[in-house]
Amino acid sequence: MPRPGAVIEVDRNTPPVLFHFGEGIRLEKMPLGARIVYPPDPLEPIGHPERAIKRALAKPLEDDPLKSLLRRGMKLTIAFDDLSLPLPPMAAPDVRQLVMEEVIDMAAEAGIDDLHIIAALGLHRRMTEDELRHIVGDRIFSTFHPERLYQHDGEDPENNVYVGKTAQGEEVTLNRRAAESDLVIYVNLTLVPMDGGHKSMSTGLASYRGIRAHHNVKTLLGSRSYMNPPDSALHHSCIRQGQLIEDTVRVFHIETTVNNHAFPAIANFMQKRETDWTAQDQAIFLATKQMTDLAPPAFKRNVFHAMRAPYGLTAVNAGQVDAVHDKTLDAVNRQIAVRVEGQTDIVTIGVPYLGPYNVNAAMNPVLVLCMGAGYLFNFYRNKPVLRKGGVLILTHPCRYEFDAVQHPSYIDFYDEVLADTKDPAEIEKKYELRFAEDPWFRQLYRKSHAYHGAHPFYALYWAAHAMDHAGDIIIVGGDRDVVHHLGLKCATTLEDAFEMAEQTVGRYPSITHLRTPPIMLCEVE
Amino acid sequence: MIAEALKGKTILVTGSTGFLGKSIVEKCLRSIPDVARINLAIRSSARRPASERLEREVLSSPAFKRLKDELGEERFGKLASEKLAVIEIDLGRDGLGLSDAAREQLRACDVVIHSAAAVEFDNPADLSAQTNLLGAARLVEALRASGARPHLVHISTAYVGGMLRGRVREEPPLDPGLNWRHEAEVMSSLRAPVEEESRRPEVLNKLRREARSRMGPAGTPAVARATERLRDRWVKDRLVERGRTHANAMGFSDIYSFTKAMAEQAVVELHGDIPLSIVRPSIIESALAEPFAGWLEGFRMAEPLILAFGRNILRDFSGLPDSLLDIIPADLVVNTVLAVAANPPPDTEPRVYHAASGSRNPLRLRRMAGEAGIYFTAHPLRDRYGQAIGTPSWTFPTRQEIATQARLALRLVEAAQWVVERLPLGASVAQVSDDLNAERDRLDRGLNLIQLYGVYTEVDCIFDTRNVMALWEKVPAAERTEFPFDPALYDWSHYFQNVHFPTVVRMSRAETTARRGKQPSGSTAPKTESSSVRATIERRSGRADVLAVFDVDGTLVETNVVEYFLWMRLRAQPLDEWPSFMARMLRQAPRWLYLERRSRAEFQRSFYREYDGLDPEVMQRLGREALDAVTLRRIYPEGMRRIREHKRAGHRVLLLTGALDVVVEPLAELLDVEVDCAHLLVNDGRLTGDLESPPPAGEARSALLEEYAGRNGVVLSESFAYADSLSDLPMLELVGSPVAVNPDARLSQVAGQRGWRIERWRMAPGNWRLPMPDPRSPEYLEAVRR
Repeated sequence: MPRPGAVIEVDRNTPPVLFHFGEGIRLEKMPLGARIVYPPDPLEPIGHPERAIKRALAKPLEDDPLKSLLRRGMKLTIAFDDLSLPLPPMAAPDVRQLVMEEVIDMAAEAGIDDLHIIAALGLHRRMTEDELRHIVGDRIFSTFHPERLYQHDGEDPENNVYVGKTAQGEEVTLNRRAAESDLVIYVNLTLVPMDGGHKSMSTGLASYRGIRAHHNVKTLLGSRSYMNPPDSALHHSCIRQGQLIEDTVRVFHIETTVNNHAFPAIANFMQKRETDWTAQDQAIFLATKQMTDLAPPAFKRNVFHAMRAPYGLTAVNAGQVDAVHDKTLDAVNRQIAVRVEGQTDIVTIGVPYLGPYNVNAAMNPVLVLCMGAGYLFNFYRNKPVLRKGGVLILTHPCRYEFDAVQHPSYIDFYDEVLADTKDPAEIEKKYELRFAEDPWFRQLYRKSHAYHGAHPFYALYWAAHAMDHAGDIIIVGGDRDVVHHLGLKCATTLEDAFEMAEQTVGRYPSITHLRTPPIMLCEVE
Repeated sequence: MIAEALKGKTILVTGSTGFLGKSIVEKCLRSIPDVARINLAIRSSARRPASERLEREVLSSPAFKRLKDELGEERFGKLASEKLAVIEIDLGRDGLGLSDAAREQLRACDVVIHSAAAVEFDNPADLSAQTNLLGAARLVEALRASGARPHLVHISTAYVGGMLRGRVREEPPLDPGLNWRHEAEVMSSLRAPVEEESRRPEVLNKLRREARSRMGPAGTPAVARATERLRDRWVKDRLVERGRTHANAMGFSDIYSFTKAMAEQAVVELHGDIPLSIVRPSIIESALAEPFAGWLEGFRMAEPLILAFGRNILRDFSGLPDSLLDIIPADLVVNTVLAVAANPPPDTEPRVYHAASGSRNPLRLRRMAGEAGIYFTAHPLRDRYGQAIGTPSWTFPTRQEIATQARLALRLVEAAQWVVERLPLGASVAQVSDDLNAERDRLDRGLNLIQLYGVYTEVDCIFDTRNVMALWEKVPAAERTEFPFDPALYDWSHYFQNVHFPTVVRMSRAETTARRGKQPSGSTAPKTESSSVRATIERRSGRADVLAVFDVDGTLVETNVVEYFLWMRLRAQPLDEWPSFMARMLRQAPRWLYLERRSRAEFQRSFYREYDGLDPEVMQRLGREALDAVTLRRIYPEGMRRIREHKRAGHRVLLLTGALDVVVEPLAELLDVEVDCAHLLVNDGRLTGDLESPPPAGEARSALLEEYAGRNGVVLSESFAYADSLSDLPMLELVGSPVAVNPDARLSQVAGQRGWRIERWRMAPGNWRLPMPDPRSPEYLEAVRR
C-alpha cells in the first residue's frame, strides 16, 4: 500500500528540501518549525489497462454499452484531450491511444465508415505531427491523418456552430463535425480535478465566443479554487454549457486517470522525499544540479523536455458524464489529496520547467506566473494553504524568453499590455478583445502552432485569485527586470525572500513548503 | 555729422543679403531717418526674383526685429517700402546686366557701399576671383560708364597686405608687382583644366572604386551618383587647393585676402574721378550692441574655433600665444562704414580706413583662449550622455607639429574603419563603426580648422587706425552714442562672456543644459518609449494611398537566403550525405561573401544556381515547412507588430524581397499582405537555377516600387519603407518615411547622415537554432524517405 501524503515539521534532522527551479533544481534548508507537505506516493497502476478499458466500455455508468450505441452508417466522432495533459507527456503508449484503439476497433466491427478523430484543443496551439502521433499512436495516425484525424480550429468560421445560450446567458459553441455527429465519444485523461467532465466538451471543442463566458476575471475570482469543482464558478459555468451540449448531441464519455508517477527513473529523486534518497539518488541529484547550473538554457530545455513520465493507469470509467466524472474525481483525489491543518503566513513553491502551455517550449514569464500563482497555488480545497495577505514565494529563473512559434501573442502581451498595467480586470477590459481578434494571431493559431491571441490573458486570469489573495508574491532567483515587469518582487536567495516577507507578515512567520510536483491537492482544515 | 551728411542722399548697398550688408541697411533705416533712399543691389537667383529675395533674405532677418518692435509691423512695412528699393545688379556679368531703369537708378546714387564678397577662406579659386576681384572691377566700370560720380565706399579686409609684420598703415595698397587683370584671368580659367583632369581614367576609376566600396550593393545609379558627388568634391578640393597655393605663392594666407588685395588694386586703378574710400575691417564678429547684442549670421571665422574649443575637439591649437587676434564687432564696422560714407574724400585720392581693434584695444590669442576657458567652464557644452565637456588647455605647438599628429591619427582611424566595414558581421558592428565615424569626423574637422585658420593666429602685425580715429574726433559728442566706432569703447571680457560666446553657442544649437530625464530627480518609474514612426503612422491612418514596404531577410526575419537553402536541402537529404554537402557549401562561402559585398543582385544570381535541378514541388512543400521551423521562430515581434499597425491604419503593406517565392509566400499569406519576390524558372518539371526576372535588389527595387506605386495610386512621399542593408538604399530613398532596421555599418552611416529613423528589432530571446532539421525526428525521417 503506497504511503499517503504527509506534512513534516522541520527539525534539526530534516535534510534540505528540493525546490524546482525552472530547468534546474535547488536544495534549500528550511527554517526550524516550518512545514513541508509531500504528495502521496504513486498508487499501484491497473495491471491490464486494455482489459480495464474493455470492461469499462462494456459496462458503462448510467449508459448503454458502447457496442449497442454503434451502428452501421452512423456519423461518429472521437474527440480527445490535447498534449497539455498529462505533464510531462506520458511514455508511449499514451492511455488515450489505448482507449481510442479499442473504440476504433469496435467501430470497425460495427461497420462504421464515417469516423473522424478530433483533437479537442480549444484555444491551445495545434500540435505538430510528431506530437499528435505520440498521443494517438502510429497505427491510428497513419490510418486517419490528415483527412480524418485533425485538430479542432476554434477560429474556423465554417466549422463552428452556435449551440445556444445557458440560463445564465453563457453562449455555447461547438465544433460543427461534433455537433452534426450521431455520436461523439470523448476520450479524456484527467490529471488534476480541474479537467474532465463537462469542461471537456465545453472548452475543448468550443470557440473564443464560448470560452470567454467563463475564462474571465470575475469567474476565476469566484473559483476557490478551480481545482475543486464544487467550489468553482468556472466549473459551474462549464456544467451549464455542457448540459446544453448534451441536449444537442449524444456524447459518450470515457475518462481515465493516472497516478502521479511523473518522473522517469533517471529523475527518481524528484519523485521521492529527501529522507528516502539513496546514495544513487544523491549522486544523480548532484550530477543534475551541476549540469543545470552550468549548461546553457537551450541545452537544459532539450534534456528536460525529452523526459517522458512512466504514468500508470489508475481508473477508467465510461458512460454518462456526471456519473463518470464523479468516479474520476474520486480516483484523482485518492492519488493527490493531502490533509493540511491550518494556513500559514508564507507558502513556498518551486516552479518546475513545465506547465500545461509550454510543452516543448520555454516557460515564458507570463506562464511562470500562471504556473506558480495559478495552478500550483490553486491546488487546495476549502481554503488556500496561504493565509489571506500572506506571502507566496516561488522559485524560478524567470528569464525574458519566449517561444516565437508557440507564444507570439505572449510576447506582445508582455511587451505592450504588462508595460501598461498589471491589473487583470483592467487588462481584460482594455486589451483582451483586441488580441483575440488580431488577424495575425488568428492566422498563427490556425495555420502554425501558436496559442490563441486571447490565451496569455487566460494565463494571467488563472493567477488573478492568488494575486488578489496574497499580500506579496516573491520570485527567488528570477531576472529582476522581468519579475518587476510582472508586477512581482524579486529575491536572490530564499533567505532574502523570507527577510522581505517579514515586512508583510511580521517576524517569525509560519511557513509551509509545498514539495510539488508531483502534484497534490491540499485539503486545508 | 553722420546723419546730417547722409540726409537726402541715395545710397546703394551691394551684398545686402550678406551679414555686413544687412547690418548696414538696418542701421541706415534706424539711425538715419532722413536718408532719401537705400538701393539694394540684388541679383535674381535661379529660384527667386530679386524682390522676393529682399523680403525673404533681408527683411525677415532677425537684424530687423528691433526696428519692427520699435515701429510695429505696419509702420515698418511702410518705412521699408518708402526707403528701400531693389536694383537688379549681377556682379558676375560685365556691365552688371543693367536694365535701362536700373542704370537710371544707379546714376541717381550719391553713395555706393560695396560690401559684396565671397568671404569663406576655402572657396574655390575661380569663385573668389569672380566675386571678390572682378565683381568690384565691374562695379567701378559700370559706375563710370553711367556717368555718375557717387562716393564709393569699398569694403575690403585688413589682411590685404598679406602676412606682414609690424604696423600696417592706412594707405592705398603697395603695388606687389602683380597685374590684377592677369591674376583674374588665371584664376577664372582654372576650372576647365581641373574638370578635365577629374575625368582622366586614373582619377575617375579611383573615385568609382571608392564610390563602389561605399555604395556597391545600392546599385549602379547610386554608385554613379556617389561617383559624381565625389568628383564634384574632388574638383572643388582641387580648386580650393590651387587657390590657396596660388595665394600662398603670392604671399597671402588664403584666397580671400588675395582676391581682396587684387580688388583694391583694381578699384584704385579704375576709379578715375570717382571719390573712393576703402574700409578694411579685420575679423568681423558678432555685434556688440546693435541691432542687438550678439547679432550674428552664419558661421564666420572664429566661431568654429570657439565651438571646437568648447566641444574639446581641438585638444591643442597652434599659434603664437602673444600674437594679436584682431577681432572687431560688426556694429563698430557698420558705424565706421557710415562715418566714412558721410565723409567723402575731397579729391580723387583714395582714403583708407582700418576697422580694427589691434592698436586701440589689443586682444592676444592667449587671452582669447583664457576667456573661452572661463566661459566654457561656467557654461559647459554637453556630450551625448548629458555630461559637461571639459575644456582643453592649449599649449600652442607649431602648426606643422599639430597637423602631423592629426594626420597620423586620421590615417589610423580610416584604416580601422576600412577593416570594420569589410567584416561580414552586419548590424553587430554598427556601433563600432559609428564611433569610428565620429572620431574621424572630429579629426577631420580639427585638421581643417588648423589648416584654414592657423595662420591667423600667427600674425604679428598691428593695424594702424589713425584715419579712423581722426574721423572719430570729428564726430560730435551727441552723435557718438548713436554711431560708436572707437574700438577702445568696450572691454574684451564683457564682449566674450556676455555677447560673443553665448551667441556662438546659441547659434550652434549645442546642448548646454543637462537634459530633463538625465537630471538626478531620482525617479525610477519606467518610462514609455515613444516612437516617432508610430506617431507618423497614426497621423496617416485611414489612408489607402499610403504604402508600407518591408524588406524581409534581416528586416522582418533574422535569416538569409543561405540559411533557408541549407535547411531545405538538409531536410531532404539522408544524414550521411550531410558532411559532403556542408563541405561544398563552405568552399563556396568566401566567393559568396565577396559577391554580397559588391552587389546583392550578383550574389543572389550566383547563389540561386544552387537550386539547379531541384524539384519545384518538393521545394514548395519544404518552403511551407520552413515557415514553422525557421521563419516564425526567427521573426522579429516588433516587425510583426509594425506590419499590423500599418494594416490597422488602413495602409497597404508590401513585402519586397530577393528571397525565393517558396519561402516568402507562405509568410505573406499568413500575414495577408502583398509580396514581390524572386521566382526561379522551371524547365521540364525541374528548377533551372535561373531567375524569371532580375533579382529585386538595388535600383531594381526602387523601379519595382515605383511601378507598384503607379499601378496602385500610392503616394510614395507619404509612404514608409523598412530595410536593413545598403542594397535597399534606392528603395528607402524613394519614400517619405524611411526606417533603417538593424542597419549594417554602411547603411547605418547613410541613415545617420540623412537623419533617417534607425530602429533595432530583435528576435524573441531563446529561439536561435542552427538552420538544420532535427535528424532524430520522425518528420525528418519521413521527408528523407520521400
